[in-house]
Amino acid sequence: MSAYLIRRFFQMVLVVFLSAVASYTLLNFAPGGPLAGLGQVSQSARFRITEEDIARIRQYFELDLVLPVRFSRWFIGEPRGPLSIAGHEFFSGLVVGCRIPVQENVLDNKGSYVTRTVGCKEDVTLGDLVGRRTSRGVLFFDFGLSWTTMRDRPVSVLLLSRLPNTLRLLGIELILSLIIGIPLGIYSAVKQYSRFDYFFTTMAFMGSSMPTFFFGILMILFFSVIPKIAGLPYLPPGSAEAVRDYIIPWVGTIKAGSLADQILHVILPCLVLVFVSVSGWSRFIRASMLDVLRQDYVRTARAKGLTERVVIIKHALRNALIPFVTIIVFSLPGLFGGALITETVFSWPGMGRLYVQALGNSDYPVNMAILFITAVLTVIATLMRDVLYTVVDPRIRFN
Amino acid sequence: MSNQVATLSAESITLKEETPGQIIFKRFRRHKLAMISLGVITLIFLLSLFVKYIAPYKADDLQVGNYFLPFGAKDLDTGKIHLLGTDHIGRDYFSRLLYAGRISLSVALFSVFISELIGIVVGAYAGFYGGLLDNVLMRFVEFLITVPSLPLLLIISSMLLQNPDLIPIPAPILWVMGKVTLLRPNDARQAVLIIAVLAGLGWMTAAQLMRGMVLSLREQTFVEASRSMGASNFHIIFRHMIPNAMAPIIVDASLGMAGYVVAEAALSFLGFGIRDPIPTWGNMLAATQEFMFDKPWLPLIPGLPIFLCSLSFNFIGDGLRDALDPRLKM
Repeated sequence: MSAYLIRRFFQMVLVVFLSAVASYTLLNFAPGGPLAGLGQVSQSARFRITEEDIARIRQYFELDLVLPVRFSRWFIGEPRGPLSIAGHEFFSGLVVGCRIPVQENVLDNKGSYVTRTVGCKEDVTLGDLVGRRTSRGVLFFDFGLSWTTMRDRPVSVLLLSRLPNTLRLLGIELILSLIIGIPLGIYSAVKQYSRFDYFFTTMAFMGSSMPTFFFGILMILFFSVIPKIAGLPYLPPGSAEAVRDYIIPWVGTIKAGSLADQILHVILPCLVLVFVSVSGWSRFIRASMLDVLRQDYVRTARAKGLTERVVIIKHALRNALIPFVTIIVFSLPGLFGGALITETVFSWPGMGRLYVQALGNSDYPVNMAILFITAVLTVIATLMRDVLYTVVDPRIRFN
Repeated sequence: MSNQVATLSAESITLKEETPGQIIFKRFRRHKLAMISLGVITLIFLLSLFVKYIAPYKADDLQVGNYFLPFGAKDLDTGKIHLLGTDHIGRDYFSRLLYAGRISLSVALFSVFISELIGIVVGAYAGFYGGLLDNVLMRFVEFLITVPSLPLLLIISSMLLQNPDLIPIPAPILWVMGKVTLLRPNDARQAVLIIAVLAGLGWMTAAQLMRGMVLSLREQTFVEASRSMGASNFHIIFRHMIPNAMAPIIVDASLGMAGYVVAEAALSFLGFGIRDPIPTWGNMLAATQEFMFDKPWLPLIPGLPIFLCSLSFNFIGDGLRDALDPRLKM
């Protein structure tokens, strides 16, 4: 067991490292970014930006360092300066980047001018890194500063400000889906080929084919727009809480930020998410329940003369829930990452919407942070699944 | 006399021989919802195929001033009718919907084709040869399947679309894609990139399915027989393994069509897919979402075909699963 866990731990570390490398390199190929506008600004004579200005901005974003060094500083917060052992400094002259690159416009083979970096006027050495602002490293949950969404505020602050909203929405959704989905799936499996089963499977099919953005818009239309026009009680169509008090017919005035306000706001997005995941999960439960009901030990239990209720709940259900561990565990990364589409449709200020906004604003540190944490959570979820499986199903062994 | 009896009984006893195709179709026909779905999909495909002859306007024909015309409004200059009215900048909504269908469906179709192809090759290779490569590949596939895919899709497609020089696409591909989607080659670039992203992140299930099938087929006697007759690995994989493993792949492809139609629409909806002047169902929905409070039909109209396609392809996949291999039934 411990040998297995140790091996799995090293695999986890490797996967986390590789996904960090992947996400970092990916985003460094990204266009846009902080320097995109500078070229245009420097065209006007009054606000001409000097070479020194650009160098300063490049240094601010660490764009003057070579990719591996930049990555290492992002990932573990090192190197911060020359290697110092017993008071002596080593490698302080090592070139780790270029402060002011030499660029020239070259005519490419299609006949248009492209800017190309041809050399370096001034190098950055390891010694120059002393005194620079550094993050403590992503591995230690310091994700640097946000570029645009909340300029110069730490990404972690931004994430923490959005996390409660997402946890609230997805937590409620998770609990509701479990409460609704499991009984539905069981009932439909026990009454296989009944009218209820046909109705249920068709509904579940619709639910899992329904695109959330379309469903969300339908919900807003039916529960918000139409009732509001008709003068009936309506649900607020977006955001997590209202800015000012509002009146709902028959109910009265709702104070902005009150509990009632928050509950009203969470209903619609939650409904969409619950519908989609209930249809997926209950179909899953139904299939695994049907599978178990065909097993010999269920027949044995019935032959012993146990009541149908005991057979289903004690013998069948407990075994049918085993594969469900996977689904529960893998909702962990989702719980953090949020629901991108639903949050966008309902302008819910959570992680999913933050991700989309940050991507739209080229605020890559935010995206990298979310991607990285999601990857780490996924890896942890995988391990949890494997360990939990051996707990709930003794037939499975580590190897 | 006895002769006559023999012929009579032979005719009445023996069943007409059916080809495997007929048997499968017969079983498929029993799934009523799948048959209806097949009808719906055929209709949508025909509309997209003959879009040039059906659509009264071009997808990007602007008419200044004719914003938000109601259903069936007549254009005073040309006398043509806006069947579904016009959108917020005066483009004929019906024509846009048809052109969008053509683009959305071609993107989904190509993505499915490419991703199944990659999946088949990778899965067959990993399953057949096994060893370290198999181990590494399948770990990778497992990880990619468990990571939430939408954030990855978004980030990659946003980067590729903003940075057209990152991956140069050969002109012939753009030309072909332009012909298929009825776009100018330069606009078709977006479609090609979206296909690449969708297929690039979508081949994993097919690979897992294929690998599973190959692993079980490897132990079968007919493979052994073929090998004993001196067949090469290549021959065994391509003539025995892949044809025999097609059933789950076809089902996966049908379900994949549903997934890709929705995924493409989701990307366009969030603003990181194919962009506005080019119509797709997703970006029509996104562009008109803000008018839903007073003109709710505008976002609903493009949403409906997305839902219909997704539902129909899922039903067809379900029907195919029943027809091709009853053991696979959930």
